Amino acid sequence: MASVVTKRKTRSQGPPTPEEKPKPKPVVEDDGPIPEVIVAGDDSDSDPEISTDGEESGEDGMSEEGGEGEAESGSEDEADGDDDDFDGSEYGSGEEGDESSGDEEEVDEDARNYVLDVMKDFLTGAVGTNGEGGKEEEANGNGVGEPEGEAEGEAVNPTAAEESDSSEDEVPDRNTIGDVPLEWYKNEDHIGYTKDGLKIKKQARRDQLDTFLARTEDANEWRKVYDEYNDEEVELTKEEIDMIRRLRQGKIPHAEVNPYEPYVDWFEYEDKGHPLSSAPEPKRRFIPSKWEAKKVVKLVRAIRKGWIKLDKPKEKPEFYLMWGDDLKTSDKTANGLAYIAAPKTKLPGHEESYNPPVEYIPTPEEVKSYESMYEEDRPKFIPTRFPSLRQVPAYPRYINEIFERCLDLYLCPRQKKDRKQFDPETLIPKLPKPKDLQPYPSTCYMEYRGHNAAVTSMSTDSTGEWLATGSMDGTVRLWDVQSGRCRKVWDFGLKINNVQWNPNPQINMLGVAVDKDVVLLSTELGGEEVIANVSSLLTLKEAGAEESPLATWGLDEKFKSLRVRQPFVVQSFVWHHKGDYFATVAPDGITKSVLVHQLSKQQSQNPFRKHHGRVVRVLFHPQRPFLFVATKMHVRIYNLAKQQLSKKLMTSLNEISSMAIHPGGDNLILGSQESKMVWFDMDLSTKPYKAFKNHTKDIRAVAFHKTYPLFASCSDDGTTSVFHGMVYSDLLQNPLLVPLKILLGHKTVNHKGVMDCLFHPRQPWLFTSGADSIVKLYCN
Amino acid sequence: MDTTIEDQVVERQIQVKFVTKLPPQLRVVSSAFAIPAKLGRYGLSEVVNTLLGLEKPQPFDFLIDGELLRTTVEQFLLTKGITAETTLTIEYIPVVLPPEPQQPRSHDEWVSAVSGYNARFIATGSYDNHGRIWNASGECVFLLQGHSDVITSLAPIPAPGSSAKQFQLVTASKDHTLRFWQVALNEATSSTVTLKPLKRLKGHTSSVQSVAASPSGHEVCSGSWDTSIKLWNLREETEGEEDLAGKKRRLETGAVNSSEKQVDARVTFQGHTQVVGGLDWSDRDTIYSASWDHSLRSWDVETAVNTQTLTSSKALHCLSVGGEGNALLAAGGADHLLRIWDPRLPGTVAPVFQLSSHTSWISACKWHPKSSFHILTASFDGTVKLWDTRATIPLITLNQHKDKVLSADWWKNDNIVSGGADSQLHIYSKLDLSF
Repeated sequence: MASVVTKRKTRSQGPPTPEEKPKPKPVVEDDGPIPEVIVAGDDSDSDPEISTDGEESGEDGMSEEGGEGEAESGSEDEADGDDDDFDGSEYGSGEEGDESSGDEEEVDEDARNYVLDVMKDFLTGAVGTNGEGGKEEEANGNGVGEPEGEAEGEAVNPTAAEESDSSEDEVPDRNTIGDVPLEWYKNEDHIGYTKDGLKIKKQARRDQLDTFLARTEDANEWRKVYDEYNDEEVELTKEEIDMIRRLRQGKIPHAEVNPYEPYVDWFEYEDKGHPLSSAPEPKRRFIPSKWEAKKVVKLVRAIRKGWIKLDKPKEKPEFYLMWGDDLKTSDKTANGLAYIAAPKTKLPGHEESYNPPVEYIPTPEEVKSYESMYEEDRPKFIPTRFPSLRQVPAYPRYINEIFERCLDLYLCPRQKKDRKQFDPETLIPKLPKPKDLQPYPSTCYMEYRGHNAAVTSMSTDSTGEWLATGSMDGTVRLWDVQSGRCRKVWDFGLKINNVQWNPNPQINMLGVAVDKDVVLLSTELGGEEVIANVSSLLTLKEAGAEESPLATWGLDEKFKSLRVRQPFVVQSFVWHHKGDYFATVAPDGITKSVLVHQLSKQQSQNPFRKHHGRVVRVLFHPQRPFLFVATKMHVRIYNLAKQQLSKKLMTSLNEISSMAIHPGGDNLILGSQESKMVWFDMDLSTKPYKAFKNHTKDIRAVAFHKTYPLFASCSDDGTTSVFHGMVYSDLLQNPLLVPLKILLGHKTVNHKGVMDCLFHPRQPWLFTSGADSIVKLYCN
Repeated sequence: MDTTIEDQVVERQIQVKFVTKLPPQLRVVSSAFAIPAKLGRYGLSEVVNTLLGLEKPQPFDFLIDGELLRTTVEQFLLTKGITAETTLTIEYIPVVLPPEPQQPRSHDEWVSAVSGYNARFIATGSYDNHGRIWNASGECVFLLQGHSDVITSLAPIPAPGSSAKQFQLVTASKDHTLRFWQVALNEATSSTVTLKPLKRLKGHTSSVQSVAASPSGHEVCSGSWDTSIKLWNLREETEGEEDLAGKKRRLETGAVNSSEKQVDARVTFQGHTQVVGGLDWSDRDTIYSASWDHSLRSWDVETAVNTQTLTSSKALHCLSVGGEGNALLAAGGADHLLRIWDPRLPGTVAPVFQLSSHTSWISACKWHPKSSFHILTASFDGTVKLWDTRATIPLITLNQHKDKVLSADWWKNDNIVSGGADSQLHIYSKLDLSF
């Protein structure tokens, strides 16, 4: 690199000759030949400026040349000089586009360095030119350089270079090893490499004798210096020698530089029109402004008094999009379409790894089977194993896939998917906890034992003191509810189908359905008057004794009671709430299956001409003159007063087995043999309000509590389910139905489980009677 | 540090001082002892026995802060949060040993009511419609015949002064009436004497479930399935025509039995909505009633006004007033819990005690006439249990009955009598209660 330094120095020395130094002004005029010389080297270096200028603003260069010459100040030049490095690099890059070879580039580099040096010289004032002169020179350079710009590549010829500089300058560094210690090549037979990568052989070193001989022969031999880097001898010029001498003496290396030059008043302004005042700075520039202070005080006062409010409340826009939120207008782009983010591609998984786990790699058979597949079904990517990442070949479908992806993004219609986040908990209806719905029957405390076969039916008196049960063993038993004592047994000898206590406490009477009879028994409870009343009712009236095709009223000798005999087996019967009428169901009777009997007149009548299906149950409305007739699939509600069908309930059941009505009279539950229970809100609809499938086998009976909001169903699977069924007096509020408890305890005998369930009329207790002949009382 | 750790690991000692109210020969030195904390009742009993040096070991029960020790001392202190640093004062009382059952007295039917009010005789009511009076030797001395339906309960009438001579009682029956009986006890007989009722108390329209006599013995009250409580005056002839209340009405109607006088209700207390299962009239001015409508009510006798109502969550079958200050209400019902309320507490809603050990309905409960801690319960699970309110588990469980126990009472203060659905009247030997 030493050579470069020397090069520069020699170059900077080039333009200004030592003779011209003392009189700088005339240089401009006398310089005629010198600029010529410069031009050759200069055109290459001034070119960049021109080319950039030309690019920037067309003929700016020309206009500058013409009119702006005077306006240009030295400072601008200085700026140019500073920018030089940048320009140079720009130039270089620009030139590369013009197929410039490496050598030319080197030359350009040199030229650039030269300009740099000139500028430096100029600034340091070594060259005593004024601004105009410099300008002119530059303008000249521009002017001359411009036409040569096109032919620049060829223009740089070695002769021009030779002219401009010392012989060394054209010789670039041969060696390209860079700035490395040369001793690295000490033992080599080459000193480095040329640009083309060829070894540079070491030259044979001259021995002492040779050197001596050379010194005697050549007078300039002492000027020669050995360049170790390039392994060649360089002959120093006279000027260089001079410079070395001056450096040795501690002087300024350039002889032409005069450190004690007379002062030139560059900024004289008398006749230049740019007066620079020498007036001293006024005092006011150093003291704070009184008016400003006043203004500040004013503002402060205004802020304090609240005239100026700094944080104004955000004003609500007077008009706004009423449905803005709904349509998400803010999300929309200018053309009205909502921005939809592109779908994300799948991230590569383990199978895309270059070394996937063994389980990802298909067996050869699998690979073979892929070939037999359809194009669409075939896996797009078959995982393969490579011992190292280096050996992974280029992915052949890369372009395809990128292209397809682009196509997808570009062509595929996109839709915003509103994925709703659902908490499964919220989908479950909010039901109160059973704990909060107490009291309800839950624990079995009492068992009424005595029957020998399945207990089919139960009934309590109106106060809940007594319980009557009928069983398959042919007996009807009367129990004391509190003590569990069997008070009385009536033995009929035939299977008891139904037992119903007369709801009227003044007619303390028990109706028992046995075979084809309904036997009305006096319980002999309720005091003397009641007993007398009942016994008077249970005497056969002569008027009623007449033969009727429907039913025969007769006396039962065994129990001293009334017996209503019908042609068909009576499956069930119900009392009217006033206790005078009762309705019987004999399903085999077809058109005569439902009969209504009047106790006081001892008469029977058939209110229906025909039935639509086999009648299973009948029920009186607790308040109004309605009769519910349940066939296997439907429930028909007849208005007895008007003698017409009032409603037909579509039960969606196939085998209705039991029916119970809410004491309010507007809600009905049905149990079916397909183990379903349905709740009807008859004000609401003729279709079920709710259906429960809480049993696994036939539902035998359903029951409502008279006062508590409870209902229950019992089934052949041996369980009884207790529900909370709150009916609100507010018609707008639907009934609240909550399953509360499953009561276990009865054994299943012969596929029969719990035969009947019945609520205590006053307590939240439930009686269940099972096929295991036990009656249980579940208490709260 | 090492020593404390060792102590914790090996054995914790507690400083205790034994005190007692027992006679001097059963008193130990009143100095503090260090005993292992893991001792239970049995261990403490051994300690006291060694201290006393008794020839025949006597078991003791131990009271700490008015509670009977049923676990180890350590656990007791932990649960109560008492520090083990201070000297613990333990009172010891003799253990209530289970009584010996005597030969049961057989009835024809279930024994629904039993009363041991008279020290020489036991009165029972049965499902065969008869009442019976048994003497101490186990013979049925009197047969009270008159009801046409099962006797549900009976109440002895306190007759101060003439108790030795005669024994009066009232029985309630499902035939809607109550009968008043007067038994002359000097009729010492070998065979059973059949007695007729003296008076018939008629007025209820449904089965009478419960009956209680006033402390003065002049009146009885009865609760029925017709949800009313009726007050009956029994002393109309002897006390004179004009009663203090002036509400007495005497109606001579054609009685069924000529010897039987018909009495009408003096007052009717309406308020309960269901059958009144239990009545207690131990205080002169107040009648307490328990009903299946889940409420406990107190009635002022003079004004016939319901003064206080406590509500339970279950139907109540029986009631007894007694215990501490003779004011605690114990009631059992359609539940396995015996609940004890203190009506003196302001705003009382929750029971102060809930004694749980029975497995079925509680049919009868009776406070000990003298003790303020002991209460007797009979249950449908076939057991009679003696409770001490200072402990949460029963002192004694008697399971002599083979079926539901329907009634139980104290006899001669410290004997237990009980009747049940196995038609037996069980009498037990004297209990050694300390209170």
